[in-house]
Amino acid sequence: MAESASGSADKSVQVKLVLLGEAAVGKSSVVLRFVSNEFQANKEPTIGAAFLTQKCRLEDRVLRYEIWDTAGQERFHSLAPMYYRNAQAAVVVYDVTKASSLEKAKSWVKELQRQANPNIVIALAGNKVDLVLPSPSTSGTGSSSESEDEADDATATPGETPGADGQPESLRQVPREEAQAYASEAGLLFFETSAKTGEGVVEIFTEIAKKIPIEHILASTRGGAGRPGAAGARPGARQEGVNLEENPAKSKDACNC
Amino acid sequence: MSTISTQLRHFKEPTKDELTEIFFSVPPAALNAPQSGSATPSETLPGEEQLEKMEINAVLSMGVQGQEDSYAGKLYLLPPYLAFASLDRKSVRFTIPLSTIRRVERLNARAGIYALSLGLWHDQKIIVQLTSLRPSADAFCALLRNALKAELQRGQMKAVKSFVKTCYSEALVPDESSVGDNEREDGSLISEEKAGAPPRETTYHGGLGLKYKFPGDPKKLREASKIKLWTTYLRSHGRNLTLLRYPQCTRLVQVGLPNRLRGEMWETLSGSLYLRLANPGVYEQTLAQNTGRVTTSTEDIEKDLHRSLPEYAGYQNEEGIGALRRVLQAYSFKNPELGYCQAMNILAAAILIYMSEEQAFWLLGVLCDRLLPGYYSQSMHGTLLDQRVFESLVQRCLPMIHDHFQTVDVQLSVASLPWFLSLFINSMPMVFAFRIVDCFFCMGPKVLFQVGCAILKINGEKLLQIQDDGGFLNLMRDYFASLGESAHPTSADPRARAITRFQELLLVSFREFATITDESILSERRRFRADIIHSIESFSKRSAVRNLKSLERFSKDQAGMIYDALYKAMFLEPPPAMPAPPPAALFTTSGENEERPETRIGLRTFQCFLSEIATWARDETIILNGFQQRVDRTIAEHEFIDRLYFFWDTSCRGALSFQDLVSGLDGVMFNDLMENIEWFFNLHDKNKDGFLSKDEVLTLSESFLFIFRYEIGDAYLGAVSRFMTNAFEYGDALQPQHEDGEKSADGEKPPPSGSNTPYLNLATFRMVVLADEVLESFFETDLSASFRLEPVPDLELSASNNGLLGDIWSNIATADNKKFFNRFTDGIGKTIGKHQVIHRPSIGRYTNLEEPKAHESLLTPAMRSSPSKSSLRTEATASSTTLVSPSDPTPPSPPPKIPASSSEFSSLPMVQAANAALMERTPFAIDDAGDDDDTDEDSEDEEEDDDQVLDEVDAFLEENDSGLTAADKQVANDLLHAKPVK
Ligand SMILES: Nc1nc2c(ncn2[C@@H]2O[C@H](COP(=O)(O)OP(=O)(O)OP(=O)(O)O)[C@@H](O)[C@H]2O)c(=O)[nH]1
Ligand SMILES: [Mg+2]
Repeated sequence: MAESASGSADKSVQVKLVLLGEAAVGKSSVVLRFVSNEFQANKEPTIGAAFLTQKCRLEDRVLRYEIWDTAGQERFHSLAPMYYRNAQAAVVVYDVTKASSLEKAKSWVKELQRQANPNIVIALAGNKVDLVLPSPSTSGTGSSSESEDEADDATATPGETPGADGQPESLRQVPREEAQAYASEAGLLFFETSAKTGEGVVEIFTEIAKKIPIEHILASTRGGAGRPGAAGARPGARQEGVNLEENPAKSKDACNC
Repeated sequence: MSTISTQLRHFKEPTKDELTEIFFSVPPAALNAPQSGSATPSETLPGEEQLEKMEINAVLSMGVQGQEDSYAGKLYLLPPYLAFASLDRKSVRFTIPLSTIRRVERLNARAGIYALSLGLWHDQKIIVQLTSLRPSADAFCALLRNALKAELQRGQMKAVKSFVKTCYSEALVPDESSVGDNEREDGSLISEEKAGAPPRETTYHGGLGLKYKFPGDPKKLREASKIKLWTTYLRSHGRNLTLLRYPQCTRLVQVGLPNRLRGEMWETLSGSLYLRLANPGVYEQTLAQNTGRVTTSTEDIEKDLHRSLPEYAGYQNEEGIGALRRVLQAYSFKNPELGYCQAMNILAAAILIYMSEEQAFWLLGVLCDRLLPGYYSQSMHGTLLDQRVFESLVQRCLPMIHDHFQTVDVQLSVASLPWFLSLFINSMPMVFAFRIVDCFFCMGPKVLFQVGCAILKINGEKLLQIQDDGGFLNLMRDYFASLGESAHPTSADPRARAITRFQELLLVSFREFATITDESILSERRRFRADIIHSIESFSKRSAVRNLKSLERFSKDQAGMIYDALYKAMFLEPPPAMPAPPPAALFTTSGENEERPETRIGLRTFQCFLSEIATWARDETIILNGFQQRVDRTIAEHEFIDRLYFFWDTSCRGALSFQDLVSGLDGVMFNDLMENIEWFFNLHDKNKDGFLSKDEVLTLSESFLFIFRYEIGDAYLGAVSRFMTNAFEYGDALQPQHEDGEKSADGEKPPPSGSNTPYLNLATFRMVVLADEVLESFFETDLSASFRLEPVPDLELSASNNGLLGDIWSNIATADNKKFFNRFTDGIGKTIGKHQVIHRPSIGRYTNLEEPKAHESLLTPAMRSSPSKSSLRTEATASSTTLVSPSDPTPPSPPPKIPASSSEFSSLPMVQAANAALMERTPFAIDDAGDDDDTDEDSEDEEEDDDQVLDEVDAFLEENDSGLTAADKQVANDLLHAKPVK
């Protein structure tokens, strides 16, 4: 699925995106779902970082995400700056069944806001919602009707806490409202996702795409002024010229090109 | 939440002895002592510790003529091991436990030649000719004899017999010529169970691969041929504990170990075999002693168990998962400071395919503790350091690629970090990664750097085209995926076509990057270590500051300075048992996943910390001796400081966190007059009832005296004495009112004389303080200003970054030597009458001798003239005797600095020379590597197949210089026929 850098130079805009979050919250799985629309029950932990690319169509424009999926264990923390430098977007992932992972996510957000590219667009993703009952407000927009869901459900996850179907709500440790409140306070995009079912995954990347100051990136890359995002901030450029598709389902189709 | 560790500061470069141990894969001296489970120190024999090491020049010959050349080199006695390395340190070497030596004879040869014949466990005979002077040779033999005796007493000779049975090679090489098992040369008998000599017990250890298959196609891997070649080699050159490593051994490793033998060869080559021999049962005990224990590490391990080589059948069921869990947990219990790091799961999973849990446990230990030093530590400093070293090697060996990476701003380590961390296992197809691991265990960690450079070199042209990190990673991924393909698909020569890209990779690694040696890596590490430590530390500082719940009113820079002071204090006065994980008891009950506990400091560290910041928390003496002027600083101890410590411990943990210190300092550094008075009052109001008791008033006065102890003149002393007089007068005066008046609500009517009862409230205290000009100005500005945030000068690193000369300098410029130097100059100063010691004042405002007057308006004359409490006055003056009144309080200028570092010493010239030599080599010729991957021809003659493996082996053949002249060889040859001395 990965495409080489050549050939896509013309119309596409490159966006460097980094995934951060505690170990085993499902960063790599979210990326795999986005890039290949697959789910692997036992994904090896990421050592250092993994790199993947995926194109995403937004109106007439093609975004090419360069995704850096980082290692989650605390001691890899000091390596993270190597991967988030020059990133235009970040997805900070936590696990809705694990309260401590939200705390770690918050500290990542704090670090990004202070250390990373000042224009960085940050999304907060509460992953593994398939393990908790869908609350009425959370109903996934159409993505839960995908055909391969059956196959995914069949692949049992041995390491997973059993009884996901027994008392699902008890597994949730982070209420949606709490994370949502934090996200709006910190100015983040917010989604609850499931790499397993695909719920919410594509939406993150689409919403980020809408929020990225594309014109600005284009200007800075065309001008040959080094790497995208490295140039100075132009806050005014954020909204201009990006006419966004509002129907997530449609964007989603465009994304899995 | 932040953890602060000064551990990196304690790093020491390996000593020469340690380097020898590492080279010969001998367990560190500390681990050699037998570790029986309930090991009490008294169990070890008294003489054991005194066994001496010695090295001596020697020529090694195999006991069978014509089998191998003789090699000159060095023989090392490293009790309980005997080791040898040829002069080039790579052609020939061995490490054998003394307990495997069955017979030692002095050979009767030509005059002047001193030779020993050693009979080893596996019936090999080796001859070592000691070529040093006679007295050295005699000394060596004496030491060897003692060491052998000690081993015999420890019963190790006996242990060998059962131990070798756990090795697969014993099953591989039938032991036809079985020597009487219970007889020893020195006449002693090994007592043993006289089992009816069962033909062959298949008790050898093995990995999951025996049951779940080994990765790769055995045909394609030519397992049968490899096994055959190894069987031949092991029959004649010893095996497991007694393996002699001749050039052929290295070459056979380079073509890939056969799967069944792989585990054992890994532990033999890495030396983990010796750990397993020396520590029987320790693995099981470690697990048993920690059953049910839950730590951060065990939780992290649990997350990754199902994520370790999940595609391998053995890890799709509880058997493999359980083994993996036990091995990783046991290691984390053995080394709690390191615990568990992601990537270790990959290594452990990989080695468990080839070896038993116990074998894997010891091998993992050697990997994490020795071969990949610091890679998996909390700070991962070893990983970062070796990435820096790798980058520097690339810069030197492949300058064009390095420059291009600089130009397009690509970071080498985005790709190379996982190579090193997981030994290529999750970068390449496993069959290839394991072959690199084979070489890694055989030839040492330099292999990783050599292979890394070769990967870049082979892909050089394409690398010069890439524009960003992503392009780099994609290129690498494609390359690794193609390793099984032909390196020269279009070549006319079928033999060249048969060469795979992987074979090409190894050839380039070992031929073209032979200049990357253990030594060059060591010296590069030395060069960059300080940089790396510094960057890790500044990173943790930034995160610690960022993770503060509140900066209070400090700027980030100021908080950084508080951190620096804390860090320095922790370095000088390490908090007890802190960054090490807490005992299990803390965790067993809490199901909550707790991160590493926040670092907290104890009182000693706090005193040290405060002395960095508060002028009165240190004793500073300015010393003038005619040669130098310097300030000696020591940490002050006083109840006042203890009081502050408990005052700042707002969460009552008995220890302070970084946040506590920041908040505590905030509570005093930004205060105005009234706030300061209140702060000082509260600090002394222990029970927080809003009143100071009489005792507390006294303590508070003592605090004043402590703070003012070095002030010049009588002004402060006078102020304190007036304060006491007034405080007690007011206190007494107010006492009746207090008793019948508004405050009687507390029911208890304390007798006025009670020393522990409420006595002085804040308002009164304030009034007394404001009545005095000196105290007023102290609370107005001086108290807050006595806390100073200043940049802390960088600590000396215990490991110097300046190479050899730097080492010498840092040895000279130790704190001790400075002290000595100072004492020396002081002595001279005294004799020439120029020695002067001045205590530096903490406040230093009122330096004149006349007493400032108290504010008249605030106190009634009657109160002031009251002669009461004269006893207190005398106490106060008594304290004044400790004050030094210098005649000339010149403000001190900064003391002259002793030069602490030398100019940079560079190891470059040697490397450059080596590099130049590299450039002159003829380009790598592919034709001399033969291989045949045509697996369809099953019927192929076995002999021929073996030859083909050997062809490949020959591709690795390097000239081995035995370091001997023809005459020397003749002597060595003669020794084969020499008779033992009677
Ligand atoms: N039920 C469920 N399991 C998931 C989901 N996402 C990931 N997982 C599982 O959680 C585990 C960890 O997933 P990874 O994607 O490897 O996690 P990671 O964040 O990349 O972990 P590190 O690389 O170690 O930082 C795997 O066993 C996944 O199968 C999800 O949405 N639902
Ligand atoms: Mg991952």
